Amino acid sequence: MRLGDTTHLALRNLREAVLRTALTALGVSIGIASLVGMVSFGVALQDQVLGNFLRSGVFDSITVTPALRPMARGRGRGRGNVGDRFREAIGPSKQAPAGARLDDDALRKLAALDKVREVYPDVRVPVEITFGDFSQFAAATGVPMSARGEGVFQQIAFGRFFPNESDDTCLISLEFAHRISEGKAEDLLGKELTLTFASTEGAAQAAPLGLPGGINVQRGEKKFRIVGIVERQAAPGPLGAMFGAVMIPLARARRMGAYDLSNPQGILRQLTDKPTYTTVTVKVRRPQDAEEVEKKIRDMGFTAFSIADLMQSQKKAFILLDLFLGLVGSIALTVASLGIVNTMVMSILERTREIGIMKAIGGSDEDVRKIFLIEAALIGLMGGVFGLVLGWAVGRAINYGANYYLQSQGAPAANLFLIPWWLIGGGIAFALLVSLVAGSFPAMRASRLDPIQALRHD
Amino acid sequence: MVVAVETRDLAKHYTMGQALVRALDGVTLQVARGEFVGLLGTSGSGKSTLLNLIAGLDHPTSGTVKVFDRSLASLSRAELSLHRRKNVGMIFQSFNLIPTMTAAENVALAMMFAGVPRAERDRRARKLLEQVGLGGRQRHRPSELSGGEQQRVSIARALANDPEILLADEPTGNLDSRTGHEILTLLQALNAGGARTVVLVTHDASLASRFAQRALTLLDGRIVAETRS
Repeated sequence: MRLGDTTHLALRNLREAVLRTALTALGVSIGIASLVGMVSFGVALQDQVLGNFLRSGVFDSITVTPALRPMARGRGRGRGNVGDRFREAIGPSKQAPAGARLDDDALRKLAALDKVREVYPDVRVPVEITFGDFSQFAAATGVPMSARGEGVFQQIAFGRFFPNESDDTCLISLEFAHRISEGKAEDLLGKELTLTFASTEGAAQAAPLGLPGGINVQRGEKKFRIVGIVERQAAPGPLGAMFGAVMIPLARARRMGAYDLSNPQGILRQLTDKPTYTTVTVKVRRPQDAEEVEKKIRDMGFTAFSIADLMQSQKKAFILLDLFLGLVGSIALTVASLGIVNTMVMSILERTREIGIMKAIGGSDEDVRKIFLIEAALIGLMGGVFGLVLGWAVGRAINYGANYYLQSQGAPAANLFLIPWWLIGGGIAFALLVSLVAGSFPAMRASRLDPIQALRHD
Repeated sequence: MVVAVETRDLAKHYTMGQALVRALDGVTLQVARGEFVGLLGTSGSGKSTLLNLIAGLDHPTSGTVKVFDRSLASLSRAELSLHRRKNVGMIFQSFNLIPTMTAAENVALAMMFAGVPRAERDRRARKLLEQVGLGGRQRHRPSELSGGEQQRVSIARALANDPEILLADEPTGNLDSRTGHEILTLLQALNAGGARTVVLVTHDASLASRFAQRALTLLDGRIVAETRS
């Protein structure tokens, strides 16, 4: 028998008992709606918690630092020491060459790795920021031009990203803007910040400060025009804030030749011909490549860390939560599946004689089984589709109510239900599966009916 | 002579409550291809049971049934359904049409199981209904048809997959005598020239002697008489 004909007969059966079919499908709908509602709630929760990290664009970046000294590992006696375990987790693998230098050569090697999109050193220039009466010591962070539209730069509250990498322009955070000016943050656009730093570049304003090793450090002073104000300060990066309150183009920051004089290591590092870097950011093509690239970097003898490492346990927790919510949501679906069994048993009882006739004129057990199985599957399909719509509608309604309350309490609006594509497909597939399982027993019974008994049935 | 149906020591026993019923108790017979054979007997004589065994709807307690030299006992359930689809066409006393289907759909249903494509099915159902004299009643449901018309639909359905053997179980039992004659005349026409083998179960000896070439009389599950007309 052709599948189209089997489906045709199954549809005919369903049409003849419209009310019963509709009620059974409604039962499945409610089951699917509760399942979809629960899971979409879990998905939305996960999005609320992890989504901010995802959007900050740190999932595709790996922070590389020079290898930690081997003694740092050996010293940890207590295995419970978090710091030691952390170092162990992110440190170079044992067979790696110890003490690899994080210099320009290393940068080139990192850039040559497979799946690496970009490599840049994290340059933080210690500066004194002056604006009117305001003055503060801080670090100006070098931001690569490629960061445009990524991470925190997705939302630039006022103004725009650096027009080019050579001008003396800067971006500041909204929070910093409020600190330096009492007026509207917007009005700061186009104003200039004065950055004072230790430099070999620029006009000498004071007598050169003689340092051991013969390098000359001068007091540099530059005015940087504020071109944009970003909404959020960058998400907490793995090693302190990724971008600070004041951000300048990376190339500009490197050209300033500023010396980090805050500690002796900083001075020593800059005394050689080949400068090394404290931190280098490696951007991978896709977030899922991070783990693989991280491993390679460790094999090169560096310490590598990405935010994905921290996210693993959280993700596991959310998978458990989703499973739990899914189980709770499945209760209604289980009841609905009993409804399918009930409907199918009724349908078969009513059609006993018809089944006998079908067998007498040449219908096989398999033909009969398929007719009823498809009948059950169609109920499941209808229920699944309608259930998704129902789940979505109920979710929207609850979302609307909850947000109304949240906003009345002064909290920001949040999306409490998210239905991703996989949930749509999965919901319908699950409804189909459940109805097929529920229908298989009645269908099997129908197929085993004795035709002579069935023909005598009224 | 080609033997269409052959049974040997065929027996069917079943228990009803405490009592053992010997519906068939050792039946040996042969039906030649193209023959019109009547099975005569009162109710409970075992004639319907014999027909069901030939149709492969039931399993014998002992003995064998062979259709075109093939033993039904060796067939699986799926092969038995193929046997019912291809070799035999059944006609019942109570018509056994599906009430929610039109005449044409009832005829086409038998071809659905055989996997005949829709267009071919519809064409052939129309032709068969015309052949049994129901050209204008294709779209009618059984409830809108008279008893005689319903039995004609059922004959058209029995012919749907062009079987060699027609098995008719009291086809005139629910019809008045004039209509009954018409139905049997139709069966006779289908048998004409040995085109199809017909096995007719009836309790009416006069009908059997008038339409069948040979009549076997059953009593308590045994063949007790054979008459040629």
